[in-house]
Amino acid sequence: MSVFMKGNEAIAEAAVRAGCRFFAGYPITPQNEIPEYLSWRLPEAGGTFIQGESEVASINMVYGAAAMGVRAMTSSSGPGISLKSEGISYMSSTKLPALIVNISRGGPGLGSIQPAQSDYLQATKALGHGGFRMMAFAPASVQEAADLAYISFDYAERDRNPVLLIADGCLGAIMEKIELPPMKETDEEATKKWSLSRQPGEKRAARALTPIYPELLLENENKMRGVLTKQWEANDVMVEEFLLEDAEYVAVAYGIAARVVKEAVLALRAEGHKIGAIRPITLFPFPKNSLRNLDYGRVKGIIDIEMALPAQMRDDIELEVRGRAPVHEYGRSGGILLDDEGVYTAVRKIIENSQLSTLN
Amino acid sequence: MKNTVLISGSGGQGVVSAGIILAESVAESASGTCLPEYGPEQRGGAAKCSVVISDGEIISPLPGKYMNFIAMNEQSHKKYIKQIKDGGLRVFNSNRITGIPADDKTILVPADDIAAEAGNPKTANIAMLGAFIKATGIVSEDNFVKTLKKKFAGKSAEILDMNIFAFKKGLNL
Repeated sequence: MSVFMKGNEAIAEAAVRAGCRFFAGYPITPQNEIPEYLSWRLPEAGGTFIQGESEVASINMVYGAAAMGVRAMTSSSGPGISLKSEGISYMSSTKLPALIVNISRGGPGLGSIQPAQSDYLQATKALGHGGFRMMAFAPASVQEAADLAYISFDYAERDRNPVLLIADGCLGAIMEKIELPPMKETDEEATKKWSLSRQPGEKRAARALTPIYPELLLENENKMRGVLTKQWEANDVMVEEFLLEDAEYVAVAYGIAARVVKEAVLALRAEGHKIGAIRPITLFPFPKNSLRNLDYGRVKGIIDIEMALPAQMRDDIELEVRGRAPVHEYGRSGGILLDDEGVYTAVRKIIENSQLSTLN
Repeated sequence: MKNTVLISGSGGQGVVSAGIILAESVAESASGTCLPEYGPEQRGGAAKCSVVISDGEIISPLPGKYMNFIAMNEQSHKKYIKQIKDGGLRVFNSNRITGIPADDKTILVPADDIAAEAGNPKTANIAMLGAFIKATGIVSEDNFVKTLKKKFAGKSAEILDMNIFAFKKGLNL
């Protein structure tokens, strides 16, 4: 079914179609269309929508719903995700699946209500205390936002770990024509593996859920977290590589920023510059190989472009480039959007300066 | 071919609705994106909505500067004119933006007068789109009316008729 939809609404509808039947959240711009949409759509689909009294209450309701074997989600923006981080850590600790959506805005602090990519570090390094990791999906279009929201529950349940979908406020607000995925139900046989909800007559053992562990057991659980991370890196990386074959300059950008970057790449290609782009779709696991395996005999520079200042993805990029090419950065911040003219001009200048310094 | 349009006006003039209807009607046969931009303003503040149109895939929806400009009041005209490229089409609501002469690139639409004639002040935005579509041919009359019907499906037939009236008035200035 083809519809013209806003990013936020597409994420909400795709989640319902994926079998999500519980949402709890607290209002914050620029993600409000998600709870607004689900407030009528979930009851229509036989699910439950709750506007919690706070972010902390909301994430703990999601924790409870997931513990009962229900496909559950919450959404917020940076400041609200910070408040939810305790509950997210508890969910990872108790191995409960859920979808967490961050439609991000300018930060730090309350920041601004306008779009930004200011939560990369929070999304990829520590969505809460205790050293757990989560897969983080970063769509670049409304279609991709719907598609990733749809499959994210499968990853969350496969790994028994929450999954993050992160998009900036621009992708939340923009409207595009998309194809919606088909409706499916929660796989109740699968959710019984962790559900505490034992129905009368069911034989399976009761399961206790504890947020506190004996030391050795906890160490063992954490070793398994390391194994999980390695599995993600081996099997689950998603990346788009754009015109890299002969590229001497490689721009790296994710989300809406990557679309602006691709437009600039095409304009610079038309002028004869050999430039390509890498777009991480999973921010975690980060597409290390795309950067690690570039031909550094040819590549003269890497350009990190984000709606964040200072750039936050830079550390991950530098770890793979390993000093084999200079890493430059360009970005806007505070809620100011990147745009075609700005990115084109900035990247062109970086290339020209780089060529000048090579001549000298 | 890629085309970009910035629609502006005061909150409540239907700027965002105009952007959605324009982009959605284009998306019937090509690609269209619509990005409403809200500030902390309430009714009466400057509102902006950008539409990107292409017969191919829309790679970037954030051009920075726009080819075409539809402005519905003086305040937003002043605020956003610097984001418009030279040489593009400008469609102004002549009931609220005065002192600018019409030329081959500037179309003056008495949108509030047309809306009053249509019987609903909220149809001024659709009158503006009528004039814009006439000048650019960016979307067919049929696809636009089809989208109007979809958008006003939940409203009375009278509301739809008022909007179609305003659209045709703008189209046949």
